Amino acid sequence: MAGLLNASAEPAERLLLDVRGLSIYFGHGPGEVCAASDLSFSIQPGELVGIVGESGCGKSATALSLLRLLPEGSSRTTGKIILDGIDLAALSESEMQKLRGRHIAMIFQEPMSALDPVFTVGHQISETIRAHFNVSRKEARERAIEALEAVGIAAPRQRYDEYSTQLSGGMRQRVLIAIALSCEPKLLIADEPTTALDVTVQAQIIDLLLDIASKRSMALMFITHDLGVVAEACTRVLTMYAGQLVEEGKVDTVLARPRHPYTSGLLRSLPRLSQPKSKLPAIPGRVPRVFDQTGCRFEERCTFRIDECARPQPIRAIDDQKARCCRIHDLHLSGAMS
Amino acid sequence: MTDVHETQPLIDVQNLHVHFPAAHRGIVKAVDGVTLRVKPGQTLGIIGESGSGKSTLGRALVGLVRPTSGHVLHQGVDPFAMRRGEFASHRRDYVTVFQDPNSALNPRMTIGASIREPLDIAGLLPRSQRDERALELLERVGLNRDYASRYPHEVSGGQKQRVNIARALASNPKLIVCDEVVAALDVSIQADILNLFLDLQRAFNLTYVFISHDLGVVSHVSDQIGVMYLGKLIECGPAEQLMRDPRHPYTQALLSAEPCAMPVAFRKKKRIILKGEIPSPMNPPKGCRFRTRCWMARDVCSTEPLLREIAPGQQAACHFADTTGLPVGAVETAAYVGAGA
Ligand SMILES: Nc1ncnc2c1ncn2[C@@H]1O[C@H](COP(=O)(O)OP(=O)(O)OP(=O)(O)O)[C@@H](O)[C@H]1O
Ligand SMILES: Nc1ncnc2c1ncn2[C@@H]1O[C@H](COP(=O)(O)OP(=O)(O)OP(=O)(O)O)[C@@H](O)[C@H]1O
Ligand code: SF4
Ligand SMILES: [Mg+2]
Ligand SMILES: [Mg+2]
Repeated sequence: MAGLLNASAEPAERLLLDVRGLSIYFGHGPGEVCAASDLSFSIQPGELVGIVGESGCGKSATALSLLRLLPEGSSRTTGKIILDGIDLAALSESEMQKLRGRHIAMIFQEPMSALDPVFTVGHQISETIRAHFNVSRKEARERAIEALEAVGIAAPRQRYDEYSTQLSGGMRQRVLIAIALSCEPKLLIADEPTTALDVTVQAQIIDLLLDIASKRSMALMFITHDLGVVAEACTRVLTMYAGQLVEEGKVDTVLARPRHPYTSGLLRSLPRLSQPKSKLPAIPGRVPRVFDQTGCRFEERCTFRIDECARPQPIRAIDDQKARCCRIHDLHLSGAMS
Repeated sequence: MTDVHETQPLIDVQNLHVHFPAAHRGIVKAVDGVTLRVKPGQTLGIIGESGSGKSTLGRALVGLVRPTSGHVLHQGVDPFAMRRGEFASHRRDYVTVFQDPNSALNPRMTIGASIREPLDIAGLLPRSQRDERALELLERVGLNRDYASRYPHEVSGGQKQRVNIARALASNPKLIVCDEVVAALDVSIQADILNLFLDLQRAFNLTYVFISHDLGVVSHVSDQIGVMYLGKLIECGPAEQLMRDPRHPYTQALLSAEPCAMPVAFRKKKRIILKGEIPSPMNPPKGCRFRTRCWMARDVCSTEPLLREIAPGQQAACHFADTTGLPVGAVETAAYVGAGA
């Protein structure tokens, strides 16, 4: 695999992930639909990045494309994904398989369906380890037990031989994290890892992820529709809307002063930020089903639109925050405190 | 504080137990001795961990499950003591809306027919009036009349939930139990639906029992909040007061764990991370059911603490609930033995 490295002389701030102009399409011919368009973003080693946006905005499709796990045949991507200096497009499937786990791993939205009920949880972890390292069964078993212990599972030796159906939702999510972590990836993508869990269990899982990320300086990409989770777990946030990145910035800055009306709208819809029993400021309308708008894709739902919004909207920057909105300089949008 | 005796409660729950048979001759005590009241026109929010008995309580409130012991009184009357015919018509006043917007709608029925169905069953109005009422209800929940001819698969999740609400309203109910009604929806659509519930409450003086694991949602809609843990009501009180000054250690942990969308400088500082998982409801701990996960637990906790008044209107079931201000500093170190550490 070393031959594939673009062994360029990297500056001190080396990027772990660099995505340039990534677009994702599903289907064929005239029925083809775009799920993500022209995404560019990067993640540094050890960085904690959140991705937010409503259902159907393209968050999961983006995550899957980073692992090259989109359905082959019915999807295609354009643009570049550079992971740890390696151009993913240049890899064969078997090379890609090696990369998955070692460099990049993912925990999926549904903890139940991602585990195989036929095998013990320990077996599933050992198999992942054996697929990536040349170790004996016995050693894989030991490593798997260590991995279970690392995710806070009590009596890991006993748990090793249990089946996923015997575990609670929180435990299953821990097992999935153990599997994802067993090969010590540099980037872990967590797609709504806590959506199905109770808040107390969610807090345990977030704590666990942050703890492991900082111990191993592993980067975390946290996909969620919950801005609260982003606030607790991330340092930088990207907002996706209708297949585009529409805002990017430091979490605290974005929460205090979002620069895109959509991020502001998401924040303001949260019941916690309004007076009890008062009318909540919902965003009117819904995410469009087809992403083919030439102007701002949020235009039809936006209360701040002006004529210029019908023209293509490039990403604009203000300080270290970015937004895809022509009014980035003149709007003062509500954040979490206003 | 208004006098509790001033109005008759719409719902009066007395020492309610709902037990289910389980594998190996076990018993799940899903609801295990709950007493509470709901006044007309008010919203009682119910929070608590998965499996704590919230939905079972909700079903018992509308007569969908029979109490193993204890009573649920509707305006002073026990529906299970009624004659059959009486019970059927009485049931229409006490209805539920569930989480999954699909489950309650028949995929082969138009939306209009689904909304009309409860009216058809009641058989009180002639057909033309039932049709008209269904259309009015559609408008009331913010959908166009022309949605009546559509099928469930032709509308979005949020719209389906509106249809379910319209259907629940069809019989002019007194109480609606809302069980995780916004859990499956995006924040913006969730905000829409919550606005609708509040609107309807004002318009029809509806009473709600609002079950949700989302503390933000519950604190937004509720007048009173009850907290459940393993089949018991462990704390209850006025919403705002309970959120500000929770007295049961479990409530404190729950509130501290709520993710908060604020910059770090504005977030609550102390987070209590509970260790372990909720014990099995088939074999709950003796004494205080929370003691296996509680950082305050002492020997005395092996005797069961009773729900008692701690502050005006606020009750908690913890031996230490009236200790003003828990030793939070001590809490952190003790409770932090959670995951991974
Ligand atoms: N395998 C697929 N085939 C066709 N279209 C797809 C496929 N997967 C996703 N899409 C479409 O791509 C768009 C983006 O979907 P994606 O799952 O990435 O959304 P998301 O942001 O993850 O939403 P959610 O919050 O609901 O998980 C949607 O319109 C979806 O219908
Ligand atoms: N019909 C039933 N038969 C047997 N056990 C049941 C039945 N209904 C509920 N239970 C059990 O009773 C307990 C309480 O369940 P319930 O659904 O009321 O909890 P909940 O608080 O609503 O949980 P969630 O937040 O996951 O919806 C659980 O252990 C559940 O498995
Ligand atoms: S570009 Fe115009 S329509 Fe789009 S978000 Fe900005 S103000 Fe609103
Ligand atoms: Mg998704
Ligand atoms: Mg439930």
